[in-house]
Amino acid sequence: MSLLEIEGVSRRFGGLLAVNDVSFAVETGEILSVIGPNGAGKSTLFKLIAGFLKPSAGRILLDGKRIDGLRPHTIAARGLVRTFQETTVFREMTALENVVVAHHLRRRGSILAELLATPGVQNEQENFVANAKEILAHLGLSGFEDESARNLPHGHLRALGIAMTLAVRPRVILLDEPFAGMNSEETARAVQIVRGIRASGITVVLVEHDMGAVMRISDRIIVLNFGTLIASGSPAAIQQDETVIDAYLGRADETAAL
Amino acid sequence: MAQILIDGSVLSASYALIALGITLIFSIMRLLNFAHGELFMIGAFMVYYVYGAWHLPFVLGLLIAALVPALIGACFEKFLFRRVMRVATREENSMLLAVGTAILLDNVALFLFGEEQHGVPETISGVLQIAGGFLPYQRLVVVVMSLALIALLLGFVQFSRPGRAMRALAQDRDAALLMGVDVDRTSMLGFAIGAGLAGLAGGLLVTIQGVNAGIGVDISIKAFIMIMIGGAGVVSGALLGALVLGFAESIGYSALPGSETYLLIFVALVLFLIIRPQGIMGHPWG
Amino acid sequence: MRRFSALIGFALFAAVMLIAVPLALAGQGYWLTVLTTAALLAFGSLGVWLTFSIGRINIAQGAFALIGGYVVAILGTRYHVSFWLSLPLAVLIAAAVARLVGWPILRLRGVYFAMITLSLTEVASLAFLNGGSFTAGASGITSIPRPALLSSSLSIYLASALLLLIGIALAWRFAASPTGAVFRSLRQGEELAASLGIDVARYRLLAFVVSSGMGGAAGAMFAAFQQNIFPTSYTVNDSVNFMLYCFLGGLQSVAGPVVGAFLLVIAFQLLSVIQRFQALLYGIFMIAAMLFLPNGLMSLPQVLAARRHERDAVVPPR
Repeated sequence: MSLLEIEGVSRRFGGLLAVNDVSFAVETGEILSVIGPNGAGKSTLFKLIAGFLKPSAGRILLDGKRIDGLRPHTIAARGLVRTFQETTVFREMTALENVVVAHHLRRRGSILAELLATPGVQNEQENFVANAKEILAHLGLSGFEDESARNLPHGHLRALGIAMTLAVRPRVILLDEPFAGMNSEETARAVQIVRGIRASGITVVLVEHDMGAVMRISDRIIVLNFGTLIASGSPAAIQQDETVIDAYLGRADETAAL
Repeated sequence: MAQILIDGSVLSASYALIALGITLIFSIMRLLNFAHGELFMIGAFMVYYVYGAWHLPFVLGLLIAALVPALIGACFEKFLFRRVMRVATREENSMLLAVGTAILLDNVALFLFGEEQHGVPETISGVLQIAGGFLPYQRLVVVVMSLALIALLLGFVQFSRPGRAMRALAQDRDAALLMGVDVDRTSMLGFAIGAGLAGLAGGLLVTIQGVNAGIGVDISIKAFIMIMIGGAGVVSGALLGALVLGFAESIGYSALPGSETYLLIFVALVLFLIIRPQGIMGHPWG
Repeated sequence: MRRFSALIGFALFAAVMLIAVPLALAGQGYWLTVLTTAALLAFGSLGVWLTFSIGRINIAQGAFALIGGYVVAILGTRYHVSFWLSLPLAVLIAAAVARLVGWPILRLRGVYFAMITLSLTEVASLAFLNGGSFTAGASGITSIPRPALLSSSLSIYLASALLLLIGIALAWRFAASPTGAVFRSLRQGEELAASLGIDVARYRLLAFVVSSGMGGAAGAMFAAFQQNIFPTSYTVNDSVNFMLYCFLGGLQSVAGPVVGAFLLVIAFQLLSVIQRFQALLYGIFMIAAMLFLPNGLMSLPQVLAARRHERDAVVPPR
């Protein structure tokens, strides 16, 4: 049994079939990339998996249990967490507060205990703070703990977003264009971070446009075009695949015609 | 039955002016004009004074009923909203400012106009009888003028240069800026026209319902109901909202005592929003 | 450290409210009533402040005050239930109603939520107006029995001050607790919060239910002290005022709504000449605050400091 299984998933918006009967599986511990031209349905697929949209048809299973139709917070509690394309963090909190709040699923205190600030709750919070500092340091953000998130530079914001997801301690992490808008140096660092995530035992699924990074980092790649899965395989195999080349070249032709 | 249809049409036509005005302001500035009902009330008072008290022509009263609120709206935009929206740190700020302007106008009106209910004489007497229902000519005048104004507004927004700028601004602020739309001027004009529409609606409806300084909140709430039904910032939604509310009122009032109608309308509204939080025509989350 | 100074501030405020004020104003019924009003309005505003913290503009507090008031009125006059029992019931019923209506309406954001809550205030008023013999319609319910133990204006004041202190402690603890951090996270990004495993619907409902329960308590106290309640006891304007106190005081700290309510209520009593223009001045205050102090009166020191800083930075002309 695979860790994450997508079985015949479709999503329709009005007359448009954004995701069309897509099936694939994600194995524990791998890095799987989803690529495809713009509008191929990659982001929609992510939203379907993370519970931000409901599939029109098909099933999604995590550990063999259905998660399609569950709400995002429940799916997060089951161990699957997504990041967002834009650098989404809580802008009016400090970097540390952002990561501490992301420990939410590990909170055990009742509201009453929290209001009374019982020793148990205080202890728990101290643990979260220590852990959050550790994660921030791990991602190269030490020294920025008390900086308000809105003052952080773009690259650090992306790292902070990943730090928050790690605080949830997921088993699967969905990264939505983690390298977008980065220069080659930043990309190299981000690639290291993603490898580090996998090394810590977390399975990674990512959507990305940066082909260089994708080819370097992925164990396996699946390719979407017009909502349909057209190829899957190792980076080397994908680079040779005729349909994939056609899909990208076809698009290039269109652009040229414009 | 015929009477319900007639009353519903009369209400819908004039409510459409209110809804279009608040929609215009919302779509251009992303601002909910809490003072919309107060601008309506001021328009109504203008007609009351010019036509009812000073016995000048009704059309002149109507003109002033459009101009005074439009001027107030333009000033609000220029001196208050423009500044606050530029520096606001929280999105609540501009809305709270709008609440402030509503409170201000409410009380200025109370101070200037007093608490009594005022009515104006009919501009035209006589009653038309259609299919067993009665349509006083006065109401016919209101319907015809409302429809003409709606057509005029839609034509203006569709075909004129400033109208196109408004639509551009409503659709995509950044793109409009790139296209060289003068945001400040267009916003001011939009606010003025929206406010003027509210004043016109007041100036027309005062001939049927009269006016007092306390109606502002009620009218604002009606405007909110209409844009919640139709969807905020969408012209077709505003018109639809006006139709639904106008007929809901005319049906309700024919069957129920006054305030129960509104209780039912509110309950229906909440139930409706459970199913469709974005209104009939609106986009999710506005 | 911040927590320590906040604690001292709270202790000082408590000492003033419970010891200094009673000593100074003991025989002065009028001023005790004014402070009672301020304390109860501040308490209701603290609830609205909580809903501000999840990023919702709540203009429904008048509706819940009305519900609380009617619970005490109906239980007290018809079933002779003690105020001390009907007060918690008022809180529970207001909270239950908030739970029921909150679930659908909290899906709305921004101006939509503001509009629907404003409508709710109107609904509550209309519902009590049309409640037949159960709510006694427009004539309202009068001669509500005085609460046991609370016969003098001093004791009424003390009870209200105590309630306010409980309210401040509650709001403050909420703000400082992990739940408060979750509330603030919702204001800044509900989707992001959901992706981190936060049950967004549950937490925003929690904030709204607590807020409305506080509104119910304020309404219950007012009804018992004034001994009457009418469908028009709380109108849209009152709901707006609850919000206004928060806002004028400042949304950043728990002290905001308290400062806002006390300042406005007391100022208008002191300047009795201008009472006629109270509402007008509210409007002007609000506009002026938006223009010059967009973060509330509590931000005045920072704003002044920034001004001074700016002035000093300017090179003086030769």
